[in-house]
Amino acid sequence: MRRSWFPALLTAVVIAFLFAPLVVLVTNSFNASRFGGEWEGFTWNWYEKLWAADEVWESVWVTLKIALSASLASMALGTLAAYALHRFRSWLQSVHSVLITLPLVMPDILMGMSLLALFILSGIETGLLTIWIAHVTFCLSFVTMVVLGRLQDFDFTLIDAARDLGATRKQAVIKVLLPLLLPGVLAGGLLAFTLSIDDYVITFFVSGPGTTTLPLRVASMMKTSRSLPVINALSTLLIASTFLLAALSFRLQRRA
Amino acid sequence: MGGFLVIDHVSKSFGSLRAVDDVCLEVGPGEAFSLLGPSGCGKTTLLRMIAGFERPDSGRILVAGQDISHLPPEQRPVNTVFQNYALFPHLSVWENIAFGLRMSGRPRDEIRGGVDRMLELVRLSEHAKKRPAQLSGGQKQRVAIARALVNRPQVLLLDEPLAALDLKLRQHMLMELNTLHEQVGTTFIYVTHDQGEAMSLSDRIAVMNAGKVEQVDGPEALYETPRSSFVATFIGDANFFTGTAVEHQHEGYVRVMVDGLGSPLVLSNGAVGSNQTLKLMVRPEKISLTLNRPPSGERVNAFPGTVEDIAYFGSHTRYRVRIGEHRVIAQLQRSRFSGGGIEPPRGADVWMSFHPDEARVVRLEDAA
Amino acid sequence: MTSPRGVSKQWLITLPSLAWLGVFFVIPAVLIVVTAFRPPDLQGGVGSGWTTETLQVLRDPAYLPIVWRTAWLSGLTTLVCLALALPVSFQIARVGTRMRQFLLLLVVIPFLSNFLIRVFAWKSLLHPEGPLTKLLIALHLVSEDAMLLNNLGAVLLVLIYTQLPFAILPLYAAAEKFDFSLLDAARDLGAGPWRSFSKVFVPGVRRGLISAAVMVFVSSLGQYVIPQMIGGASDEMLGSKIAQRVFSDRNLPHASALAAALMLAVLVPMLIVTMWQRFGRKEAAS
Repeated sequence: MRRSWFPALLTAVVIAFLFAPLVVLVTNSFNASRFGGEWEGFTWNWYEKLWAADEVWESVWVTLKIALSASLASMALGTLAAYALHRFRSWLQSVHSVLITLPLVMPDILMGMSLLALFILSGIETGLLTIWIAHVTFCLSFVTMVVLGRLQDFDFTLIDAARDLGATRKQAVIKVLLPLLLPGVLAGGLLAFTLSIDDYVITFFVSGPGTTTLPLRVASMMKTSRSLPVINALSTLLIASTFLLAALSFRLQRRA
Repeated sequence: MGGFLVIDHVSKSFGSLRAVDDVCLEVGPGEAFSLLGPSGCGKTTLLRMIAGFERPDSGRILVAGQDISHLPPEQRPVNTVFQNYALFPHLSVWENIAFGLRMSGRPRDEIRGGVDRMLELVRLSEHAKKRPAQLSGGQKQRVAIARALVNRPQVLLLDEPLAALDLKLRQHMLMELNTLHEQVGTTFIYVTHDQGEAMSLSDRIAVMNAGKVEQVDGPEALYETPRSSFVATFIGDANFFTGTAVEHQHEGYVRVMVDGLGSPLVLSNGAVGSNQTLKLMVRPEKISLTLNRPPSGERVNAFPGTVEDIAYFGSHTRYRVRIGEHRVIAQLQRSRFSGGGIEPPRGADVWMSFHPDEARVVRLEDAA
Repeated sequence: MTSPRGVSKQWLITLPSLAWLGVFFVIPAVLIVVTAFRPPDLQGGVGSGWTTETLQVLRDPAYLPIVWRTAWLSGLTTLVCLALALPVSFQIARVGTRMRQFLLLLVVIPFLSNFLIRVFAWKSLLHPEGPLTKLLIALHLVSEDAMLLNNLGAVLLVLIYTQLPFAILPLYAAAEKFDFSLLDAARDLGAGPWRSFSKVFVPGVRRGLISAAVMVFVSSLGQYVIPQMIGGASDEMLGSKIAQRVFSDRNLPHASALAAALMLAVLVPMLIVTMWQRFGRKEAAS
């Protein structure tokens, strides 16, 4: 049967649409022109300026600290949550499941706004800790979903087999379940890491003085046209690292 | 109790469903024994109770005189070959087989020796370093068997061991399993829904239905003298006729009145009272078809009928013959049709006959 | 599982995530609704006592066009995203495994790149001095003084751009499970390519379609970065107003009232879909 060419063409157009702005960014980061309207020659100038911008690297450090700790915490919480959701069928898990799903569809502005309300009303000063709490909260659901998918593919007769061969319940979990679940947990953690680095809206609400994450820094740089080309350079580096992380998680998923 | 594995009045319910209902079985040492039945008959639940994955609600399970009913699976002298093998995908073939020995903390040398010997026994030594995903179905199965046997279990449980294999491989593995059983001499318990598998693998078979054991016997006895119509239909094909015993004759024969079929003479196979309602069973291959009426001198039951349908199977041909209200299936080997070399075409008038010794009276309670 | 030990073990495993979400998701959401009934204080906090006065601000006629704009922008974004995502997910699901994973990666990568940077990229792309404007002027498609930026069309375009992966991913998940031989059957029975797509494929991925629609619509409702960066002064959405009340006016109760209204707008379509799916499932079972 002849296949219609229309979906294929449209897919190509959509993918081009998705990449077009990114390509413009990357190109402009090497463009000597300040506004990037026309190509005025190749330059490393913006990368040199970026290298010298200490406040950007300070923000990178803040962002990495938060992303790493938030993804570790959400990996632990999310793995437990996924196990509970998969293992038990009860009213408790129905409630649990709704609670895990809701943050996935909650608009960022509501989550940021409501967490800010909580911190103000309970007198917690906004800062690193509040950003970390917010990030764990929105990463948790994503990690849970990834690990849950992995658990649904897990063949639980393997646990029976381990016990049949003399492993205690604990040994079966350590020797069989965890090693097989690990790629899923890592993939979930990687997703959490990416989401945490990416977040602007929620972080904007719950950040305090001295806790400028990278997206917050980018937002403030956008207000001064002098630093716009530097943002291009920074964006290019970020897009490249996203590529790397995506490739890594792709590998992890496939090795399973 | 002379059994090596003893199932003593074991019952198990899931909610309102009685999965295993007061089952008693005794299996001898070194015996190859099958639990046979349709899905949902309780055979898998019984197997899981022997392995320790389920606890019986009541009753006991003993191995070599020791009550193991309340031991967790890891402490039982029983190992299982799982239906889909349940090989650990993150471990190599060698590590899969070593798993049990490592769990019981055997010394390194003993583990190496045991695993290598097992790999040799199942002829997989050159695949020791592979992952399960790189093996064929038959190889996976052999790893699963080696992984269980290396622990020297007193009873080996095999859950539908051939179900995941294709037809050719299945016949090959059937022979291999029999050879293996002879070599290791362990008690093998098969669980299967395939009567052919059960008959060729085991010394004795327990046919299960709705949580109960219907009959325990050797393969031949089950086929030739089934004690219920369930066993008769589950193992092989059968024609049934419901009738009333009318007249006892010498040497244990009885004449049975069947509506539209006159009163055939059959071997009564136990006490049958007069005027008792009962069920007759005749296997399709025990029936003869002839164009002419068989000589009436012999004690043969013969009835005139019409061929309704014919299906050719190569090694044999099946006929559906209509006799009044009854439809009878007859299975003939080409040479057995004694109609002068021609096979009766559809619509032909034929005589259907069977010898009284080839018919069976099956249990009356399921005559309904 | 009904033994007391099983119950306590279940609680033990469930408690960490349940407690976390209870404290940092449920309580904050409830707080928003509660705060909407409190008076503001001058330091940007919440005053004492209770009032329904804050809720009165919602009746301010100035909000009406903003609410309306938020609704139709989100609705239109949803429609366009679904229209694009349907053929794309169809295409991704019907190619071979390797190509499929590659295409999926291509869809996901822009999605995973920083949100702010993507919006920024559009800003420089649509900039009066930017490449797109210059190209269109060169092609005489727009006049010399055309403004691609700071208007509603630009907001809509970037909304679609950022939400499109939210539509493609759930639709692809549904399309992956779709039995493509059904399309052959439809063609065999005389349906053309378009009819077999619309009458067989689209109903076949109905569930994915619904979750894609909810994802895109709900997420669009809460946007404020895009109208703020891409749109003009008169292109505000409800989210812009909430942010403005929090950060410029420092009036938390007022912002809470708006947020509570938005939360209601988010929960209602989700509730409808959940009910519909529950009902639909029962209908299919009987």
